[in-house]
Amino acid sequence: MESASQSSREAILARIRAALGTSAGAPSAPVAAPGGIFPPIPNPLERFVAECAANFTELTVTANRVETVEVLARILHELPAGEIYVQDIPELRELITRADGKDVTWSSQGPPAEACQATVTQAEALVAMTGSILVSSLGCGGRGSSVVAPCHIVVARVQQLVPTIEQALALVKERGLPARSSFVGLITGCSRTADIEKLLVIGAHGPRRLAVVLQQ
Amino acid sequence: MRGTAAQEFLRQSVEKTADLEHRRIIRWNIDNYDTAVNRGKSRFADWQAARDRCQQVKREALARLDDYLLQFEKQVVARGGKVFWASNSEEARNYVTELAVARGVKRIVKSKSMVTEEIHLSPALEKAGIEVWETDLGEYIVQLRNEPPYHIVTPAMHLTRLQIAELFRAKLPDVTADDHQSLVAAARRALRKAFFSSEMGISGANFIVADAGMIAISTNEGNGRLCTSVPRIHVAVTGIEKVVPRLQDLAVLWPVLATAGTGQPITTYSTLIGGPRQPGEADGPEEFHVVLVDNGRSQLLADPEQREVLHCIRCGACLNACPVFRHVGGHSYGTTYQGPIGSVLTPHLRGQDFNHLSFASSLCGACAEVCPVRISLHHHLLENRRNAVRTAGQPWKEGMGFKLWSWAMRSASRYRVLTGLARRAARILYSMGYEGSWIDPAAAWTAYRAAPAIPRQSFRQWWESQDGKR
Repeated sequence: MESASQSSREAILARIRAALGTSAGAPSAPVAAPGGIFPPIPNPLERFVAECAANFTELTVTANRVETVEVLARILHELPAGEIYVQDIPELRELITRADGKDVTWSSQGPPAEACQATVTQAEALVAMTGSILVSSLGCGGRGSSVVAPCHIVVARVQQLVPTIEQALALVKERGLPARSSFVGLITGCSRTADIEKLLVIGAHGPRRLAVVLQQ
Repeated sequence: MRGTAAQEFLRQSVEKTADLEHRRIIRWNIDNYDTAVNRGKSRFADWQAARDRCQQVKREALARLDDYLLQFEKQVVARGGKVFWASNSEEARNYVTELAVARGVKRIVKSKSMVTEEIHLSPALEKAGIEVWETDLGEYIVQLRNEPPYHIVTPAMHLTRLQIAELFRAKLPDVTADDHQSLVAAARRALRKAFFSSEMGISGANFIVADAGMIAISTNEGNGRLCTSVPRIHVAVTGIEKVVPRLQDLAVLWPVLATAGTGQPITTYSTLIGGPRQPGEADGPEEFHVVLVDNGRSQLLADPEQREVLHCIRCGACLNACPVFRHVGGHSYGTTYQGPIGSVLTPHLRGQDFNHLSFASSLCGACAEVCPVRISLHHHLLENRRNAVRTAGQPWKEGMGFKLWSWAMRSASRYRVLTGLARRAARILYSMGYEGSWIDPAAAWTAYRAAPAIPRQSFRQWWESQDGKR
C-alpha cells in the first residue's frame, strides 16, 4: 500500500508537470483584491445584529460583566435537565458560577458526551458581514464543543467583531492557527437543511439553538 | 457505434420527459432554488466581479497545481496526518478499504462527497463487511432507497415530502408525522446513534487550501462536523483539482459557492481541517488521512481547450439552469455528475461511451451564464461533439444526408426538383397517417410533436404566382 502510494504520487506529479509544461494554458493573471465585490459595512455591530436575526442566531448584547453573568444564568436555567460542557478557561470558570446546580464537564476532562444539553465556549472572532462566529479547536474547547449539543452558547466581546470574512481569515493566519489548531470553523447560525423539497428546516444534526452573549 | 449507456439514456429520457409528476416536482424545487439564489445574489455589490475573481483564483491554482499540492501535503504531514495519492478509483477505494479493515472498523459515517460516489467507495466498504451510513439528509434518503444521488447538491430533489415520509415509515422505527420538521427529526435520531458508534468518518473536501495546508468542507446540517469530530479516524477523499492557493481566497469562494449552490450568504458550517487532534486540544480524531484522487483529472489538465472544466466547484447551478436536466432528470444521465458539467466531464473520467451526453443539449448557454467560475460549458459540449465525431465518426445516415444535401444544393434545378418531390412525398405520407412512424424521415421530431401543415406550393411557386399582382 505504501509503495503503491509513493509510485502513484510520483506518477501524478509527473503527469501534472507534463500537462502544465506542454499545454498553452493562460498565464495566471494577477488576482485582484475582493474590494468592490461586497457592499461596504459602515456599522459592523448593526450589521452583525441584523445578520444574526436573519440566520436564527439568538443574540443578546449586554452592557457589562454583571449583565453577561445574568443572561448566561438565565439561558442555562431554561435548558432541560442534563450535563453542560464548558471550555476550560479561567474566564468561563468565573462566569459559570451560577450553573443552576447543573453538572458541568470541563473541556480539560475530555470530549463532550453525546447526551450533553449545551456547550459554552468563547470565539476567536465574530464576523459582521454574515453574522458568523469564528471558532478553533485550540481556542474554543475542541471540535465537538460547537456541534455536539442541541444548544451552543458563545460568550464574546464586541471588540472581537471584524467586518468581513476576509479579515476573519487574516486573523486566522496572524494567530498562526493553521499550524497549531487542527480545526478552524466559521459558524453561521444553527444547523439546518433544505434537502426535502428545498424548504428550510432548523436543527438537522448540529445545534438547534445558537446563543451568542455579546458584551460591550 | 453508440453503446448501451447511450441507449439507456435515450430510453430514460423519453420516460422521464413524459412523466408530468416528475416534472412538477423538479419545477417546484428549482423555483424555490431560483428565489433563494436571486435573493442571495442581491447581497453582492458586484456578482460579475465575484465570478471573475473566482475564475482567476482557480486558474492560478491550476497553473501551479503540483507546487500547491506539495505545499498542502507538507503541512498535513507535519501535523501527523497522512496524504495518499491515488491515480485512479481502484487505488483510492483500496486504500480506504484496507485502512478500515486494518483498524478493525465496523461502522463508518459519511458526509456528502461526490468523489466517493465517483470512485464507488461505499460498495467496496460494504463488501468488506463494514456498515456505511450516509449522514447528509438527502444522501441518507437516496441510500435508504438504494439509489444514486439525483443531483450533486440536492440528492433527493426528485422526491416529495410524502414519498420521503412513506420511506421513513417503512425503514425507521419512530416516524409519527409527515411534516418537514418531523421527518428531519426522525433522521436526526437515527443518525445520531451512528455518529457516536462509528470508528471512522469519511468526508469530501470543497477546497484544498495550499498555504494553510488545510481542507475546507461546507455543510449546513452539521453532519460534516460530526463525521470529522467524533469518530477516531477521519478520512477525507477529494480530487486533486480542488486547490486554492490562499486561505484568503475563501473570502470570496465561500460566499460564491453558497450563493450559487443554495442561495445562502455562506454555508452554515464552513470548516477547515488540517490534521488529527493536536497537543492541547480537547478532542478530535487520532488519525487524519487525505486521499487525493486523480482519476483522469491530470489528463484533462493537459487539454488546453478544456482545462478550465477543472475550475468546477460543484455548486449545481448549471444543473438547475439546464432545460435538458429539468426535463430528463438527474438519474437519466447514468453518471455521478449530472447536467451540463456532467456531460462535459464524464467522457474525460469514464471514456468515450459517454459522448452521447454532449449531444443532449440545445447549446442555449444558460449553464455558462450561471456558472460562478465562468466555465464556458456550452462551448465544451460542442468540442466534445467534435471530438466524438473525430474518434467514432459520423452515423452513416447523417453522412449520406449531408452528401445528398450538398449535391442538391449545388444546382438550382436539382434543388427545385428534389425539394418539390420531398414536399409531395411528405404530404402523401402524412395524409395517410404515417406522421412520426418509422417510415417518416423526420420521426425523431414528429413522433412527439405535430408537424406543421405542409403547403401545396413551394415558396418559389407562390412568389411566381404573385408576379402579376405586384
